Amino acid sequence: MSLQNLLNEYTCPPGIWDEMCDAGKIRSHYGKVVAGFETLDVPTLQQKDVLAAELFMNQGITFTVYSDNKGIERIFPFDIIPRIITGKEWDVVEKGIQQRLKALNLFLKDIYSEQQILKDEVVPATLIASCPHYLREVHGIRVPHDIYVHISGIDLIRGDDGKFYILEDNLRTPSGVSYMLENREVTKRIFPDMFAANNVRFISNYPLILYQILLQLASTQISNPTVVLLTPGIYNSAYYEHTYLARQMGISLVEGRDLVIDDHKVYMKTTNGLQQVHVIYRRIDDEYLDPLMFNPKSVLGVPGLMSAYRKGNVAIVNAIGNGVADDKAVYAYVPAMIRYYLNEEPILQNVPTYELSEPDCKEHVFKNIRQMVVKRTNQSGGYGMVMGHSISDEDWEKAKLEIEKDPRSFIAQPIVKLSTVPCFIDGRLTPRHVDFRPYALCGPDGVVIVPGGLTRVALKEGSLVVNSSQGGGSKDTWVVDL
Amino acid sequence: MERADGLLRATSTHYILSLDNMVMGDMTWRPVLEIFTTKGNEAIQQLERNTAGALHTLLTDVDNPNSLKVIITRARENARGAQDHITKEVWEEINALYHLINHSTISERQVEQDVIQMMQLFTQHSLLYTGVADVTMPRGLGWSFMNLGKLIERCFEIIVVVDKHYQRINYNLHEEKVIIQWKELLFSLSGYELHLKTYRGPDYNHNVLHQVLFNDDFPHSVLYSLARIEKYLKDIIAENQSPGNTDLIRCFGRLYSRIQYTDPKDINSGNLQSFLEGIRTEVLQFSNALGHNFFSYQ
Repeated sequence: MSLQNLLNEYTCPPGIWDEMCDAGKIRSHYGKVVAGFETLDVPTLQQKDVLAAELFMNQGITFTVYSDNKGIERIFPFDIIPRIITGKEWDVVEKGIQQRLKALNLFLKDIYSEQQILKDEVVPATLIASCPHYLREVHGIRVPHDIYVHISGIDLIRGDDGKFYILEDNLRTPSGVSYMLENREVTKRIFPDMFAANNVRFISNYPLILYQILLQLASTQISNPTVVLLTPGIYNSAYYEHTYLARQMGISLVEGRDLVIDDHKVYMKTTNGLQQVHVIYRRIDDEYLDPLMFNPKSVLGVPGLMSAYRKGNVAIVNAIGNGVADDKAVYAYVPAMIRYYLNEEPILQNVPTYELSEPDCKEHVFKNIRQMVVKRTNQSGGYGMVMGHSISDEDWEKAKLEIEKDPRSFIAQPIVKLSTVPCFIDGRLTPRHVDFRPYALCGPDGVVIVPGGLTRVALKEGSLVVNSSQGGGSKDTWVVDL
Repeated sequence: MERADGLLRATSTHYILSLDNMVMGDMTWRPVLEIFTTKGNEAIQQLERNTAGALHTLLTDVDNPNSLKVIITRARENARGAQDHITKEVWEEINALYHLINHSTISERQVEQDVIQMMQLFTQHSLLYTGVADVTMPRGLGWSFMNLGKLIERCFEIIVVVDKHYQRINYNLHEEKVIIQWKELLFSLSGYELHLKTYRGPDYNHNVLHQVLFNDDFPHSVLYSLARIEKYLKDIIAENQSPGNTDLIRCFGRLYSRIQYTDPKDINSGNLQSFLEGIRTEVLQFSNALGHNFFSYQ
């Protein structure tokens, strides 16, 4: 079967924004890609699909599934058809994220110092006080250049009106950027001509930009700062990403046991003795960073790290305590933060959010649960989510009891029909829902966002859950200039 | 085989980077064609924007004396003539590579979309050859001559490739250049990761030059290659009492000390081109002297 036939068969679900088609016609920015596909046939595309899987497998971008006491290496599913965004659309996304991060950085600085935003009652003090990720231990600590969020992955979705909306902010240790970069390399391998013909904006300099920012965070008195990436270790699901980034930046990958604190300074154990560390890009959650200050059972962290941090002898990226700003209940107040700190209207809108700690909101959500998704405020990865349109009555009753026990830990949002993109599944082109996570880097010179991101795909037909832990996959995202 | 390896790295690196035309600017095939072919300006002009044509010239064109196909064919001829000095495994690996490139579907595949896979396949075979030789070859004269040839070729190739890249900035070491723009050179010499780990600071023009000429940990640097040449040369001379040995050692010593005792800080925009040219000439002289000493029977 030719791909022309597959394209003819492709049907967009009604009432949903499809990234490739508009009322049965191909959108102009997909024109060159579609023309490229028309020269191929299904077996060729299937070969490319197999090749992409082999490339991921050979590079070790896998996770292990245990079955019958045997570990099976699996790749994270990758769909070979790129998702395309125009440069014009990207420019709006870029400005919107830059604005949002500026406000979130100011919020974190404020919340861990003067707390003016609470005194002015823009954000309720009870909301912050009840947030499990608000850390009193870091109150008053000055961070280099007043930057708290150096690396972020802001999740966006496109609604049926074609506009991008912010779904959530990931301001602690967002992962997935290695997939963005590797997806690009694999796409270049399997569609080199198509890629070259599309004027796709460049993303491969992400590790270099990140490294420059990390260097800038060290004290200006240090001429050749030592930067390390702190990983929980080889059993962490994102370990591949840790090794990838360390290699791409030329920095050492360390575990907690490789670091030691002496006289409020951090040192790395090397064969040449101890070497002072000036900047730590940590991929360990706050809770596990320092057993003397947080979880005493943690063996992943470094005892005494907080003392070095407090003294300003080491910069930690992202800053400790950022979780208060990406709490799903605090998310609802980000537009207000933008108005409060920047005196601007938000460029990118939030998805309407109901705090279930508010009795009126809770009642509204309970009445309209079939149109709602309920999320835990402190969970990510699609865990703890209740999809109202598909939950059974029995399960909903159980979920309600959970919510009633601790309403502060839940928010609800109307189910947004995420946009769809064509995916090559079982030899056919079929629409699947996607979100979009661009990665923003914030340094002393401002916010830089490489033009692209990770498009996460809900591979199950009709599913709106894109998380990899819930059966989601990913695809390359091209920002093209027409 | 060393030239085949260098050609493959340079070609595939150039090809992959040229896909990102938004950043890499107007990347044409001219520099690669100038290095690896003997074509004149007019012929290069016709080919430089024709990726399929350039790849054909570099990989499978039998009229190009430096194409992959011709190089591998010659390597096989050499191996066939020296079968008593190489192991069966080394011969079989070269022979397999020869049959692979002469496979009827190669040029078809090349112009199709799997050109990168094709180049990767050859690169893998090239690496396999290196590994097979390392594991199976006895450390006698055959091994020493094999490595001497390999390292002279490598040294020569590094100088030519480096010269081509610095020519792009008119040998101006103060011209602002970002690391992305040095990626092609570093990737084609397998030195990108080492560069990131070793060199700090934004003076990429000097840092890259230091790495490719003077870094003795970098297997594709001139200094490293010369240090290894010295070792194999000593091994050969220990077993061959030829009257020309003294001149040969003197010739090599001049070349080696030129790199070994040059202070990298003394190389500047004014003398870089002549420095590279001088090294290149001396490598050629040493190569000729070596051939004259051991393989000339006049």
